[in-house]
Amino acid sequence: MVLCVLIFIVDGFVTENRCFSCCWRFLVDQLDLNRPTAFLFFTFIQKWGTDLKKYIASFVGGLIVLCVMGWLIMTKSLNPEAANLPLYTFSTISRIVITLIISIAWGVSFGILAATNRIASMVLTPFIDLLQSIPILGYFPMVIGFLFLLGPWGIELSVIILLFTSMAWAIFFGVLGAVKSIPTNVVESAKGFGVSGWRYVRHIILPAIAPTVVAGANLAWCDGWFFMIAAEYIQYEGKVVSPPSGGLGYLLARASYFYEDMPFAIMLLIFITFIVVYFNILTWHQLMERANTGTYKPIIRMDLSGVGKIGVARSVQWFHFGSIHWPKSFSIVSQSLRKYSKVEKVTAVILAFAAVFIVLYLQSDHLPSLEMIQQGFTSPPADELSRLPVLIFLTMSRLTIAYVISLVVAIGLGVLAAEHKRLATIIYPIYDIGQGVPILALFPVMFLGLNGVFGSPQVALELTCITMLVLDMIWYMFLNIVSATKNIPTEINEMAELFGFKGFKRVTHIVIPFILPSIVTGSILSWGTGWNTIIFAEYMPSSDPSIPPLSIPGIGSLLDKAGYQFGNTVVLVFILGVIATIVLSMEGFIWRRLLRKFERYHLEV
Amino acid sequence: MILLTIENIKKTFANGKSEILVLDEVSFSIGDEEFVCLVGPSGCGKSTLLRIISGLEKADSGRILFQGQPVTHPIPQISMVFQLFGLLPWKTALENVELPMEVLGVKKEDRARTAQDYLKMVQLDGFENTYPHDLSGGMKQRVGIARALALRPVILLMDEPFSSLDELTAKTLRELTLNIWRDPSAPPNSTIMVSHNVEEAVYMADRVLVMAPRPGRLVGEVKIDIPRPRSQYVRESIYFNHVDEVMAMLEKGKKLSDQEANPSYK
Repeated sequence: MVLCVLIFIVDGFVTENRCFSCCWRFLVDQLDLNRPTAFLFFTFIQKWGTDLKKYIASFVGGLIVLCVMGWLIMTKSLNPEAANLPLYTFSTISRIVITLIISIAWGVSFGILAATNRIASMVLTPFIDLLQSIPILGYFPMVIGFLFLLGPWGIELSVIILLFTSMAWAIFFGVLGAVKSIPTNVVESAKGFGVSGWRYVRHIILPAIAPTVVAGANLAWCDGWFFMIAAEYIQYEGKVVSPPSGGLGYLLARASYFYEDMPFAIMLLIFITFIVVYFNILTWHQLMERANTGTYKPIIRMDLSGVGKIGVARSVQWFHFGSIHWPKSFSIVSQSLRKYSKVEKVTAVILAFAAVFIVLYLQSDHLPSLEMIQQGFTSPPADELSRLPVLIFLTMSRLTIAYVISLVVAIGLGVLAAEHKRLATIIYPIYDIGQGVPILALFPVMFLGLNGVFGSPQVALELTCITMLVLDMIWYMFLNIVSATKNIPTEINEMAELFGFKGFKRVTHIVIPFILPSIVTGSILSWGTGWNTIIFAEYMPSSDPSIPPLSIPGIGSLLDKAGYQFGNTVVLVFILGVIATIVLSMEGFIWRRLLRKFERYHLEV
Repeated sequence: MILLTIENIKKTFANGKSEILVLDEVSFSIGDEEFVCLVGPSGCGKSTLLRIISGLEKADSGRILFQGQPVTHPIPQISMVFQLFGLLPWKTALENVELPMEVLGVKKEDRARTAQDYLKMVQLDGFENTYPHDLSGGMKQRVGIARALALRPVILLMDEPFSSLDELTAKTLRELTLNIWRDPSAPPNSTIMVSHNVEEAVYMADRVLVMAPRPGRLVGEVKIDIPRPRSQYVRESIYFNHVDEVMAMLEKGKKLSDQEANPSYK
């Protein structure tokens, strides 16, 4: 019954309400002072009257469903904290919105600065690349200073900082790429007519980057929900430091870790997923459709890790399923593999050391010394460092297993979805909603469920860990494979048909070789996000401070212990360095080589 | 002897809610040992027509008869050369030529030998193991031609095969194509080429079929009776007269289409 209502409403959203997009145009055009806004508003009401009704209907309908779900959760649950749901929902949403606004402002201004100023680019780009590759936990030592200095506001501030560190980068790199990819003829003609300064930003840059900003903001928004549970449930030396105004992530973490209240956690998870999907459909889809028209380039901008980049690769991407705007997957990847000069790399490393220095100073109130480092390496969990190779091996095996599973499933589903229209109509909506589920929030729920089934927390955690990794890794693979398959040039398809390649033969001879480069790209992104996820997936906070938290051996859980349980910044930084080394060497030894090998697969048409 | 008959081909494309008539009742036939060129402005449906003949696309009504048999799907007797070559970038020149034989299950040694022969025919011997990435545009099209010939087709379809090449390369390849076509031991018997270059069409074809757009249809045909080889006549009036005749027919067709689209247009 509830499902039916859900489907009905989601369907209502999807069946086009252009009124929001009209709103967008309204806002964009308002910047253009030549046009009377009143006239626009008038046409907006007149022309999209029916769509407006539909939009309002879906808006109100979704809201009602949210309220009903909230009411059900509040009244039916025995959980004492359920009563706070409205406040918690409000605080989480406003927290993410505030962070999003800060991220957009920061990303756009710094992105434009880095793209237009050579010195700024040399200093900023590699350093931000380095920052973005640090998992959220890496920023943990930094926020602890605020946590205790500023009281309740400090906690709120740290949550926002943690969220910012997982949301902002996508927008920055998106803007950077978009500004740089403004066609030369546009740049030259603007210069020829003497357009410069603010006018240049306003008339050339801003319209050109609008789609990327929207796409990046959407990604940031999803990232925000993804990491919300990690940001709102800060643990320090075994204690949970909750933000005063609570939050959905906090509530979910409490429900699963503290009360082990499975039904409540599942309801909450559905509630959160609905909010994400609701906003996705209500705003982002419309915004993207709107922002997409009238710009210079196809909508996708993909930024991949480069030589000098440490850690996690991320992408800013938006694929419009079913439309003609499919990216030229390989060319984009090979173009935007960021490469840094030696000077840039050195600058970034110096800045990183300075940052570590400052953080350590803020935390301990005196300059970091050799003594401090020694102390860090002798206090727990440093004793586990002797087992480091084993831990690395275990974590790598988990990642590899999850990678192979997601690779196989994504190739199967991706090729099918791209080749069969009817299947696509089933797979794409699953993708759309599946993408909205905050996987990190799924973690405690899944663990509780599997623990119930197997009765062994270790086995349950191991399985949860791998499932989480698969769920997280598969999206990037799927996205890349679908887009590449759709991108097979007409001539190749016609040639294949002419000479009789059909069915399985077509897949093995034409499709698979063609998508290989994209599989490599997808793999880079998958491994990147996998490393980010495994840090949370190997470690289960305990409900009681006196009981040590549950963990499975691995380098991820070691990092968690250093950060959450013991507050050992030295070990934390050291392990981050180890992870960075692994990621970098994989990039150098495997991914770059593969990409180079597939260079000749590149079709220049 | 008639090899191929095109009968009342009609084709519409859906464009949103409206439908566009791309081909309207197109009929003609191709004889043995004939070289026919289809010329027309862009959007007149000449490429679509070629794809219908090859069996890649289906007509809404009408039919294609090859030696009396209707063509409903691609057959080995009718092969095609693409404008943008359609080579697989992960296969060498030789492997690309082998490709059509691979689908038919020809043995590895046999197809390698045949592919070798056709690469030699297009003067690409020595480049067997080169990947398309490292070939020039002209060389790529040579591979495309060799691949199309590898199944010994009776009819060769060429979709603007030289329009993405520079003029010098195009000229060489035109000669090569004509030589292969005139060689009785080599396939194909007849060739249908789509072109938007009137000089090229007059230089190569026995007959030039002129098409007009909106809807795509035949507005006339010009018989080119310049003796072959024609390279000696390209500076003479017999050549220019034919070019002028085709141009005049193209202009007439365009005028007709404009008038239909807008009756007040003069």
